[in-house]
Amino acid sequence: MNWQALILTAKLASLVSIILMLVGIPIALWVAYSRRRWKFLAESVVALPILLPPTVMGFYLLVAFGSDSAFGSWYQQMTGRTLAFTFNGLVIASVLYSLPFAVHPMVAGFRAVDRKLMAAAGTLGARKPKVYLQIVLPLAWPSLVTGWILSFAHTVGEFGVVLMVGGNIAGSTRTLSIDIYDQVEALNYHSANVTALTLLVFSYSLLCLLYGLNQKLVLWGAR
Amino acid sequence: MNVVDVRIRKTFATARRRTFSLDVEFSVPAGVTVIFGPSGSGKTTILQCIAGLDAPDSGQISIVGEKFYDSSQKLDQPAYARRVGYVFQDLALFPHMSVARNVGFGVRVNRTEKPRLVHNALEKFQIAALAQHRPAEISGGEKQRVALARALACHPRLLLLDEPFSALDDELKHGIIADLKRWLHENAIPVLFVTHNRAEARIFADRVLLLKDGKIAGEGNIQEIAALQPGWVA
Repeated sequence: MNWQALILTAKLASLVSIILMLVGIPIALWVAYSRRRWKFLAESVVALPILLPPTVMGFYLLVAFGSDSAFGSWYQQMTGRTLAFTFNGLVIASVLYSLPFAVHPMVAGFRAVDRKLMAAAGTLGARKPKVYLQIVLPLAWPSLVTGWILSFAHTVGEFGVVLMVGGNIAGSTRTLSIDIYDQVEALNYHSANVTALTLLVFSYSLLCLLYGLNQKLVLWGAR
Repeated sequence: MNVVDVRIRKTFATARRRTFSLDVEFSVPAGVTVIFGPSGSGKTTILQCIAGLDAPDSGQISIVGEKFYDSSQKLDQPAYARRVGYVFQDLALFPHMSVARNVGFGVRVNRTEKPRLVHNALEKFQIAALAQHRPAEISGGEKQRVALARALACHPRLLLLDEPFSALDDELKHGIIADLKRWLHENAIPVLFVTHNRAEARIFADRVLLLKDGKIAGEGNIQEIAALQPGWVA
């Protein structure tokens, strides 16, 4: 078992899922409640990583992180470093790649909140931020938990984007899925099996937790 | 003196791809005004336009001289700025909050003053003992009391009631209406009350607006309406 890769993967997934909570909630609120005609365009952008081959996304992110692009050169001027093949680059790529896995459950949760409750809060003098903070988010919190768990699990299992953007640098960008690939290439099947089995058990446990929690909440809501 | 002046024109789609046109103009004096009409006559839409939850196609709405909506001036104040209390037909209590938090949601005073005002509203509607219960843990009649206390605790300029008593038996209804009348009398809050139940209109109304097919078909006090319409008893 490559403990360094395990710790790096846990660090990456934790950071990405926290960032996705902060970024995903406002995006999901907008998607759930906006009446803009062009909303479908933005929704499609959010959902793009689900359909797009990871290599395509990884390629364009690599281009964007390069010093020839406006974003890449701006980042280099600000920090003196490039984003490609670094942990920070991996975090940005993972946030974009896992965005739909965080946003979609939240949107479904927000849309399920009874609009009359929001209207009632409005007639009681509450502006949108108060309505979201005190009515929508507390009532939709199971969907927030779902979004958090899915984005965490998805980040742990990423391969294509990680390899394209981060490469395979031990202690910096080598995650567990890359480590399995390395071990298989070196014909070290036993080690690959240990790591793969760890990921399998972890993913299954996480999904059991998610579905168990949802079942409990459904029963609780039906009381 | 009129408290509310309303001119609303709105056309909207109903079931089976039909359109329905609402075209009403009326004024509401102090006291309780009942909008009486059958289901689908546009009663709830009128209340929602006044509260800012829906927008007319054109018209004007002003409350105590202050204009909230005027299509000619493109003025449309949001619901949170209107200070209009609204009790929904299904009450719309916040299920994750206690009764006390529901009632205190719209109360905007300092932290030391707020518990006193909330407790006062709970006392007036005889639900102080339920303060820490959640809506799912109380009866239908108690929920009605919570919804009324919540709408009135923040001292609205106008109270809109959208058939909130339709699911209650007569005994409960009379008790709640008595408490409500007491509060309204003490605080001089005008009421616009929507119903299709004549008995409710008779016990509660100072004035009745008859709504038919999206238009005002008659108005007056109960005696005047009884003289005009068959089926009404003064």
